[in-house]
Amino acid sequence: MKKISISDIFLAFLYSGLILLGGGYIILPILQTELVEKRKWITDEELADYYAVSQSLPGLIAINISIIVGYKLRGKRGAIAGVCGITFFAFWAIVMLASIIANYTSNRYVEGAFWGIEIAVVILIISAIREMWGKAIKDKGSLILFFIALGIMLATNISPAYIIISSILTGILWKLTERSKGKC
Amino acid sequence: MLTFWTLTHIVKEFFQIGLFSFGGGYGTLPFLYDISQNYSWYTPQELTQMIAVATITPGPVGINVATYAGMKAGGVLTALIATTSEILPALILGIAVSKLLKEFSDNFYVQSALWALKPTSCALLTYVAIKLFHQNILTNQNILIGGILFTVLLTVSLLKPKDPLWYISFTSVIGIILVKTGLIF
Repeated sequence: MKKISISDIFLAFLYSGLILLGGGYIILPILQTELVEKRKWITDEELADYYAVSQSLPGLIAINISIIVGYKLRGKRGAIAGVCGITFFAFWAIVMLASIIANYTSNRYVEGAFWGIEIAVVILIISAIREMWGKAIKDKGSLILFFIALGIMLATNISPAYIIISSILTGILWKLTERSKGKC
Repeated sequence: MLTFWTLTHIVKEFFQIGLFSFGGGYGTLPFLYDISQNYSWYTPQELTQMIAVATITPGPVGINVATYAGMKAGGVLTALIATTSEILPALILGIAVSKLLKEFSDNFYVQSALWALKPTSCALLTYVAIKLFHQNILTNQNILIGGILFTVLLTVSLLKPKDPLWYISFTSVIGIILVKTGLIF
């Protein structure tokens, strides 16, 4: 089999990044088509494993999976090629749009459009919360943690980073306690 | 002007996002909202606009917003630094974990941490939703029309969920029509 080149990896993720529109979790079907079916670089099972790890790691899922696939194919350089590919259009599209939008925000109609869009964004976030809720709230413990975290955020202006760190520690201690109780 | 101090803050804040945000693109929003409260790089209202623009542009939403925030804070170079800082933790962790894969995701400690992280990330995002609901709807200068539009959209999203692009295009058209008919502004 022909060795996969660094530029092949870059181009595969460049294209995946271009068609990754609208956010959400559509990265999986895109990579399934591009990497498994079209290029046959990895199998469905491998992709599923990489996706599971990408979700367990912090940061953006699409970024994590591009790094892992790139690394598996061609090591560190492959990982960098993958991540550069998937971020390329995301970066340059915004650089161009940001400067255009800045020139039009004083226009009445643009202002009107954004007035409506700002309401739409709240709806998008609520939809994302509902999707997360289904995966996150599985038992009484996770429900309690949800309300504790929300309560702390509303009552203080502590950085979310501290909440995340405390949450990791709480989760580990909680499950360790549960495990030791189960053994008794 | 972009000073050395601003730059170190940008690296610190976006590296932190890459290291501590969970749950994909929207998981970065609590951190980005926190930035809008602590720095003068962009306002919460501008953050809302960034989310919308990120939704209609190609690529991961989290990268779009990081780039946009960098553009607001300084310019193209700042945007590049912000995006790179956000990716860096993933590059280090991704490569480190690539060798373990299933061992990593099945690990007891990873599983336990994620069990707590999922509801926590959900709570952090709920906090952002509450803040933006207050800002974009409750304190809207056209609260009546805004409230009606919000209720209609929420009903649509609950009964017959549509693509994110649909909500953005629909509301922008409504917004333009309302300006044209003189109902808002």
